[in-house]
Amino acid sequence: MFQSREELEKKLAEYHYLIDRDVATVVYLAVKLQKPLLVEGPAGVGKTELAKALAAVTNSRLIRLQCYEGLDEAKALYEWNYQKQLLCLHLKQNQSKSWHEAKDDIFTREFLLRRPLLDALESTEPVVLLIDEVDKSDEEFESFLLEILSDYQITIPELGTIKAKRVPLTVLTSNNFRDFGDALKRRCVHLYLDYPTFERELEIIRLKVPGIDQLLSQQLVSFVQVLRKQDIKKPPSIAETIDWARSLLTLCVSRIDADIVQSTLSILLKYQSDIDKILPRVSSLLPDD
Amino acid sequence: MLEERILEFARLLRKGGVNVSVTQVTAAIQAAAAVGLAQEDFYIALLSTLVVDQIDQPLFDKLFRLYFFSLEPGVIQKNINYEEQDTEQLTVGMQLVDSIEGIGTGRGAGASPYLLLVKAVRETNYPLLRRLGEMGVESLGELEQEAVAEIDKLVDQAKVAIGWYQAVNTLEKIRVQEKVSEIRYSKWLECLSFLEKYMESLLEDLLVKKFGYDAIEEIALAANIKEKEFYRLDQLEIQEIRKQITKMARKLASRYARRYRRAKHGKIDLRRTIKNAMINGGTPVRLKYRKRVISKPELILLCDVSGSVALFSEFMLQLVYTIQNRFSHIRSFLFVNTVDEVTEYFKNNSIEEALEKAFAKARYAMSPFSDYGRVFRQFEKEYLPTFSPQSTLIILGDARNNYRHDEKDSLQRIGEQVRRILWFNPQPRDEWNTEDSIIGIYAPYCRQIFECRNLKQLEEVTEAIL
Ligand SMILES: Nc1ncnc2c1ncn2[C@@H]1O[C@H](COP(=O)(O)OP(=O)(O)O)[C@@H](O)[C@H]1O
Ligand SMILES: [Mg+2]
Repeated sequence: MFQSREELEKKLAEYHYLIDRDVATVVYLAVKLQKPLLVEGPAGVGKTELAKALAAVTNSRLIRLQCYEGLDEAKALYEWNYQKQLLCLHLKQNQSKSWHEAKDDIFTREFLLRRPLLDALESTEPVVLLIDEVDKSDEEFESFLLEILSDYQITIPELGTIKAKRVPLTVLTSNNFRDFGDALKRRCVHLYLDYPTFERELEIIRLKVPGIDQLLSQQLVSFVQVLRKQDIKKPPSIAETIDWARSLLTLCVSRIDADIVQSTLSILLKYQSDIDKILPRVSSLLPDD
Repeated sequence: MLEERILEFARLLRKGGVNVSVTQVTAAIQAAAAVGLAQEDFYIALLSTLVVDQIDQPLFDKLFRLYFFSLEPGVIQKNINYEEQDTEQLTVGMQLVDSIEGIGTGRGAGASPYLLLVKAVRETNYPLLRRLGEMGVESLGELEQEAVAEIDKLVDQAKVAIGWYQAVNTLEKIRVQEKVSEIRYSKWLECLSFLEKYMESLLEDLLVKKFGYDAIEEIALAANIKEKEFYRLDQLEIQEIRKQITKMARKLASRYARRYRRAKHGKIDLRRTIKNAMINGGTPVRLKYRKRVISKPELILLCDVSGSVALFSEFMLQLVYTIQNRFSHIRSFLFVNTVDEVTEYFKNNSIEEALEKAFAKARYAMSPFSDYGRVFRQFEKEYLPTFSPQSTLIILGDARNNYRHDEKDSLQRIGEQVRRILWFNPQPRDEWNTEDSIIGIYAPYCRQIFECRNLKQLEEVTEAIL
């Protein structure tokens, strides 16, 4: 995979994913200790992107399990394709087999619907398993995940135990939508991704929006940074900063002033109540100079 | 050596109320070995393995600093030029500092420290802020071991010594007069909160250097609100406890979850479907579903909400309703000297709203003094016939009856009607049956009586009812 943290940092940067030394250390540790990496933090700080970037730089296949309320084993791990089983049974009806014999015919791998987790366990090539937004799943699903992430094996009653060919590099993400169980957390190496610093965000903008004016990028990033400190429902994320920078570039803006901010504020703020709150205060939030 | 240090550090975290498991400590040791002992990396190695909850990070940071910097500085390799930056900016301020201390003679001679503080904040001059913080702490003189227990108070004294409150007033005036922009003002606030934190950490550092491990241990214990008695909580701590309860509830809930209970209709049970089909000559007639296994307890909460007991009752209600889907049925009642049912409030409201409304609207007090006897009698007459024999009745209160009739026969009859009575008492056990507490008189009719005076015990008793 990679030999050192420095190498990891460099490879991710080549993929245009920029991280601080501390973040690199945690990711490196997760890989080194073969533990799942739990990434927490507000929306849009690059949690999902980190997993994608990791897959890319380690030449692994990305297997993504998107969590939601009601997600269960059948959708996450495996399910018997009962329609196919019934059909098969129906076709063989005339052979008048006993239930016992019939059972052996239809509980085989052929009738198994593989879902992301089983896919990741059975994969022979390297994979990054992304379990995205775990906090959206139910409490019950967590205990189930915990079982799988403890020993990377599962038992299918009809087929026996399946053990991971190789421990996948597992990344779990959470927006803290719901504060999920400690037991699962204790299994993981923890990474708290926060909004980037001014310097880091500036770098990201320059990388992702090439051609942007130096001064303009500084101004826009510092405004976004100030905005995040205000008491609003949804502070702008990196994705929004990028969008805003692109728009300003398209509009051929060279310097930011109150008018421009006011007319483009909806790119940064997604809630009308946030816009209403900030709009009248724009000039006092702009840099002094 | 390193392992021992990490183990001891983990013990400190636990004293501070941060739950650290053995697996985590093992991971921390491996992590430290993987990244080495350079200050920054070592810190990240421990943080990413030992802390699972953001809430705990400030305490982790504090204990890390005190343990690995103040007490055991030999373990880690410190960064070179740590805190050596911006000395230049300092010289200007230093002359002024000297002048207050009576050394300098320049224009600033005789300046009072609050003016310096105002200047430091306006210039966001961090070296000067630090110097002022040091002055404040020095002004406290020799520190005794008892000081560890009252760091907050000492920080306040140090603030007064450097004219904190005058400075804050002055800054507010300047803000209005000079129409200071919001960003500048928020930088000022950052300066002030930095200074406050800085003085606190200086003090802690001094105490740990002077009194060693004991001091850190005490600092950790003081931070542990889980073991703090409910009646000693301040407003901020109450907020924190509310958050912790929500978290704790989730934890309790998931621990009791079973794998198959999840699906709403149950899973398709192919074995049964097919067996059934065999009987019908091989044609699957209908899909069979696995049955859900349910055995959830029914709960009745009878809560004393007089005086200092009210907060405890509120916490318990919050906890129980957060995990209400673990119970088949919950009914709740509030009382002081008369009892009123509040179950309905919890049906269509968020828990906070429900609590607010229940406490505001229910009729539970005709006087501020609780009267358990009267309440039991009323409870028996008005509500007992509606309870199922399966239910668990939980009484929350200190059984301080203000010397009124106990009406224990009523409680006995109630006990015969329900599955069991549990009593959660927030009063310290050694005060039971003293003064007007008559918990002993009611005890024979209760399956069990629990002492429940802090968050930790609240968690324990809740496990008892699940
Ligand atoms: N460190 C980073 N370097 C470069 N781009 C980033 C970084 N973090 C976030 N981004 C950008 O922000 C976008 C949103 O990130 P995403 O992973 O979807 O956020 P999250 O999963 O945390 O909600 C990404 O598509 C990416 O373009
Ligand atoms: Mg995401």
